[in-house]
Amino acid sequence: YKKKKSKKEEEEEEEYVVEKVLNRRVVKGKVEYLLKWKGFSNEDNTWEPEENLDCPDLIAEYLQSQKTAHEGKRKGSGDADGDESKSKKKKDDNEKLRGFARGLEPERIIGATDSTGELMFLMKWRNSDEADLVPAKEANVKCPQVVISFYEERLTWHSYPSEDEKKDDKN
Amino acid sequence: MPTKNAADERISKFKNKGKDPAKLREKRITECVELRKAQKNECFLKRRNITLSSLPDEEALSPDTDTVDFRIEDIIADVNDGSVEAQTRGCQAARKLLSKGRDPPLKEIVDAGLLSRFVSFLSMDDEPALQFEAAWAVTNIASGTSWHTQQVVEHGAVPALIKLLASPMLHISEQAVWALGNIAGDGPAYRDILIECNVIPALLAHISPDTPVGYLRNLTWTLSNLCRNKNPYPPVSAVQQLLPPLIQLFHLSDKHILCDACWAISYLTDGSNDRIDVIVKTGIVPRLVELMSHEEFCVLTPALRAIGNIVSGSDLHTQTTIDAGVLNVLPKLLRHKKATVQKEATWALSNIAAGHCKQIQQLITCGLLPPLVEVLRNGDFKTQREAVWTVTNFTSGGTAEQVVQLVQSGALEAIINLLQVKDAKVILIILEAINNMFTAAEKLGETEKLSLLIEELGGLERIEMLQNHENDVVYQATQNMIEKYFNSDVDGVQVDSTPNAFLFQTSDGQNTFKF
Repeated sequence: YKKKKSKKEEEEEEEYVVEKVLNRRVVKGKVEYLLKWKGFSNEDNTWEPEENLDCPDLIAEYLQSQKTAHEGKRKGSGDADGDESKSKKKKDDNEKLRGFARGLEPERIIGATDSTGELMFLMKWRNSDEADLVPAKEANVKCPQVVISFYEERLTWHSYPSEDEKKDDKN
Repeated sequence: MPTKNAADERISKFKNKGKDPAKLREKRITECVELRKAQKNECFLKRRNITLSSLPDEEALSPDTDTVDFRIEDIIADVNDGSVEAQTRGCQAARKLLSKGRDPPLKEIVDAGLLSRFVSFLSMDDEPALQFEAAWAVTNIASGTSWHTQQVVEHGAVPALIKLLASPMLHISEQAVWALGNIAGDGPAYRDILIECNVIPALLAHISPDTPVGYLRNLTWTLSNLCRNKNPYPPVSAVQQLLPPLIQLFHLSDKHILCDACWAISYLTDGSNDRIDVIVKTGIVPRLVELMSHEEFCVLTPALRAIGNIVSGSDLHTQTTIDAGVLNVLPKLLRHKKATVQKEATWALSNIAAGHCKQIQQLITCGLLPPLVEVLRNGDFKTQREAVWTVTNFTSGGTAEQVVQLVQSGALEAIINLLQVKDAKVILIILEAINNMFTAAEKLGETEKLSLLIEELGGLERIEMLQNHENDVVYQATQNMIEKYFNSDVDGVQVDSTPNAFLFQTSDGQNTFKF
């Protein structure tokens, strides 16, 4: 996209390259475009008459950008049809979380039951008086040491009286 | 040694070394009772979805949460007590009052001067149970009107809540997320105060593959409130900070997360073209178009709104949506059973029709004309209004041939029927469309044919009636139109008015009129 500009002082014609068309105006009935020159700063932008120019693509691009700027496009309706997301939410009581969902640290297991169909532990949580049931499957993964302590505390050995008597006799 | 003692002795060497058997037995009984109690409660909860009372001396259940009946005087006394136990009890009672389904006493709690106590509890890191109750109470107060939220902020809750985001207890930091969401949602002023207090990095720190879904839901909602509201828009730097993780959330499939993530994007695209540009550059458009087809209405709606905003941007922005397949989704949405969806889809269509003729061509190719005509005929009024804009934009930017196709699809007939509406603005838009059609007809030398077609379709009659319209602009516009295009030469010149001949074909020898 070039434009030839002949300077009066110089014999040769110099070529300057148009980088972009920035604006349009009509002066005394003639159309002029504001041009950004390649290799020059914005301070060097100049208005040039339409007939001097040979950059139809750049002009078309500019006109197109102007067209969509004020023709047809309509911004958001902003219609709050009640479908919008709530801006504030109240937390209701039935949201109460149980078990591990409470985000508390397991302190120790204080009981076990399988009457619900699956093995459940009664968990005492750190910093809370409220114990509740958690599935053993979940506890085994999330706090295995706590589970192991629970089982260890309750290990029983079955004794055989004859063996013990023998031992006692020896003593 | 007797066998009995030997057994006892041996046992004491192992598991219960050094413990008194009588005490142990007592302990076992207590644990059994607790177990049974917990099981019973579990069963009740499953059957009736009731909450467990957790006050230490209260028996198991309160079946009806609405009869929660604490006296504010008692709460005040407890909360101002020196012991943590009393404070926790009082704070929890307040929390339960504030969580009631109907008419929670937000104002009474605030007027009782309890907010400053709650805010001080927020920073007691050694008492997480108390922190949690306080955070929940503050959340619910902040969920009220602007006045309520203002009280919360003015009592200094914001810094304390932001600190709580770093709590090692997940349920506590989550509660802080929620409370902050309520504050941000109040409006741009508080939103920007939170942003200035560096809330965004503290929130983003919680996004990880291990974060529970429930937590992410609250987080996404709070982030969306930080994107929300105009006058002013959120600062560009804040948007840039939270965009990448927000985009990450779109990979998930939880409908609540997707819903709020889409709302966030819809807020961010509701503005000038440079704001839209930032969003389009993230590459999120294809995913948004995909979510326009989501089975859940709560996801579809904000996705459609976001895309609608994007196509109100530049031609380039619009092209991105077309390339992502939006024109394949729109026909379905134009026929959606919900009127609001039809309306929003038609609005989006109207903005696509305001693009350049290549995009208009894509509209035609992807079969958007039939559903457009359907909504022109059968849509509810708000949808019809958007459809009329679509027609006008189409006729303005389309080539003459494209306008012919539009007319052939039945759109002209449909808008003529809409000339009877009361809304003057709509009438003017329709008249503009018809004017544009005449401009296209001029290029093809077929203006007379168009005039005759309009007359055939009952349009001339309607336009003539509009000359009596109370609105000056309408009256002027119709007058101009009749003068320009319907001034028939009354000297009995025969007009060839074969039906269906108005196909804008270049014809010879039929031009007998002069304008």
